Amino acid sequence: MANSGKDWSMHWRATTSRLLLGYGLFFVIWGTVLLGLIYWETVRYLQVRADRDLVQQVDAMRSVDRTHLQSMLNDYVVLKGANYNAWGLFDAHGEWVAGDVARLPPTLKIDGGPLRVDTDEVIARDALPTEESLTIIAARLDSGEVLALAHTTGVTAHVSSIIKHALWWGLSFTLVPGLIGGLILNRAPRRRIRQIEAATQLITHGDLHQRLPVSHRGDELDRLAAIVNGMLDQIERLMGEVKGVCDNIAHDLRTPLTRLRSQLYRMQQQMGEEDPHAGLIERCVGDIDEVLSRFRALLRISELEDRRRREGFVAVDLGETLQHVHELYAPLAEDQQQSFELHIEPGLLVQADPDLLFEALGNLVANAIKFTPADGKVVLSATRVGTDLARIEVSDSGPGIPVEQRQAIWQRFYRGEAGRDMPGHGLGLSIVAAIAKLHDFELYIHGDQKGSRIGMDCRLQSAV
Amino acid sequence: MFKSRVDTTPGRRMPHILVIEDDEITAREIALELAAHGISADRVSDGLQGLQRALEPHYDAITLDLMLPGMDGLKLVKQLRESGVTTPVLMISALGDVDERVRGLRAGGDDYLTKPFAPDEMAARIEVLLRRHRQEQPAQTRLRVADLELDLIARTARRGMRELTLLPTEYRLLEFLMRYPGQVLTRAMIFESVWGLRFDPGTNLIDVHIARLRRKVDIDGEPSLIRTMRGSGYRLG
Repeated sequence: MANSGKDWSMHWRATTSRLLLGYGLFFVIWGTVLLGLIYWETVRYLQVRADRDLVQQVDAMRSVDRTHLQSMLNDYVVLKGANYNAWGLFDAHGEWVAGDVARLPPTLKIDGGPLRVDTDEVIARDALPTEESLTIIAARLDSGEVLALAHTTGVTAHVSSIIKHALWWGLSFTLVPGLIGGLILNRAPRRRIRQIEAATQLITHGDLHQRLPVSHRGDELDRLAAIVNGMLDQIERLMGEVKGVCDNIAHDLRTPLTRLRSQLYRMQQQMGEEDPHAGLIERCVGDIDEVLSRFRALLRISELEDRRRREGFVAVDLGETLQHVHELYAPLAEDQQQSFELHIEPGLLVQADPDLLFEALGNLVANAIKFTPADGKVVLSATRVGTDLARIEVSDSGPGIPVEQRQAIWQRFYRGEAGRDMPGHGLGLSIVAAIAKLHDFELYIHGDQKGSRIGMDCRLQSAV
Repeated sequence: MFKSRVDTTPGRRMPHILVIEDDEITAREIALELAAHGISADRVSDGLQGLQRALEPHYDAITLDLMLPGMDGLKLVKQLRESGVTTPVLMISALGDVDERVRGLRAGGDDYLTKPFAPDEMAARIEVLLRRHRQEQPAQTRLRVADLELDLIARTARRGMRELTLLPTEYRLLEFLMRYPGQVLTRAMIFESVWGLRFDPGTNLIDVHIARLRRKVDIDGEPSLIRTMRGSGYRLG
């Protein structure tokens, strides 16, 4: 539910949606203004015409003989097709004589122009029309009496209802299909954004070979994706160069170092055990061996990272592998007076390269043994997690790994605070990371000051 | 100063090795190191010529570079095996890739070494190949070095009259050492042969295993039967 809400808010934040909403609002305002203008002009025109009518009629009535006047006025009310017509006769003093118009408004000038007034101001209570205002005109007859003619044309109501209809239908016909069309149009870019999101996620997880999808449309998204892809090309090239330089140094220095080592070795062989330089040369050989093993590890990581095939993968029984790892490293732990336990759940099969899996576990265990003090405890375990995952974990009672270092320890040459004084080249865990990545195993680090738990979650081979 | 005792059997001639290697310096290094171990070597720098010479029956082992002019090493060793020649071949390649190694061994190579290599490691491997080739004929049921005896069928070990109780790994380690007595075995070779693994386990892991085995095999007060060879590895006897 929360997800769909987020989805919708994203929907409305999309560029197309905003454009659409903005355009819709503009259209509503513009349409209203335009129709309002038409309404106002039309009403004014009709009003003017109606007023002119009224003036002509009152003129015509003035010339009518007084004896026929009353019946003429009644005919006028009936014949005139306008919504509501009324007349009133008043004596010379302004007192009502006959007709529905019961009062003369004080502002009305006799023999003046038409005046718009409220209906209840002038009409007798029993003859009130539905309209609230009307136009009234008054003229003095030859007899000295005053004749008032009033009408409501209903023109305002008519026109405004027509205009309202026009506005309503106009907006409906434009906005509804427009919005629906917009939503449909918006779906394609949203799908592409999702694809871009997926690709970006892979890139941030370290797969620099990934590129954002580019369609053949060549629109803004494509242009943006092309720009980002160009950037990624450059980043990948630079990363490759850095790695390449590292690898090249390691690769190129190996040959002269190996030669140096063999020369020292030869000297060592020709020297008697008692020679005062024997110890020195032995240390030199040891140091060169250390450097060479570092270079080997570095090249090994590159080799693992470049490998993307999984041809060597077979079904590996975790119990069996862990047993062998335990067997290999148990004497090392014993040497450090540590207890080294093995907990395995039977029947856990994963698809893996058995040698690489062994190497990764060996590195994890060696690492744990190295950082755990004497009398400490190291546990190697494999358990089932959920229905389709196996968790291989190495836990120790060492000093633990601070949370802020947990991401960094997988990087090449990284050595935590605790590892500074330890022998080793800081590449073991990078090898583990490279192997885990090759297998799609998820690495994790947990723990506290009382020890750490490093492990990986492996997808179980589905039982056939 | 040490020399491993390659050939103690009377009447056996000096081992003769064919070095197929196009790089001058590497070839000279190999020949020099082998000479120091009492092994003579002929050198060929081209693949086709190498195959011709390898077909001659008088070589005890061959070191073979995989990148050669004329014919590449993989093809060469394949043809050699197809012609029925069983001379042990140590493949040497600049490619350290695991797959490359598997391919080389599958084609018929007996061992695989990545360039650049320590010459003593190379020599140790050649010596193991020579001995293994020689041992192949009679199936042994018993290994004996000094007063140490291993029964390969009952999988028991004894030192003099004392029965040794060994864990399976310890037994395999001792068996490997006893198959090549007097022979320097590097840590990498031990790790490969006993555990079948080829990664860098750190220097002291093998040392720890050897130390454990020593505690069981050695007699207090006497020098250890398993000798540490400075800079390279171990030697039994």
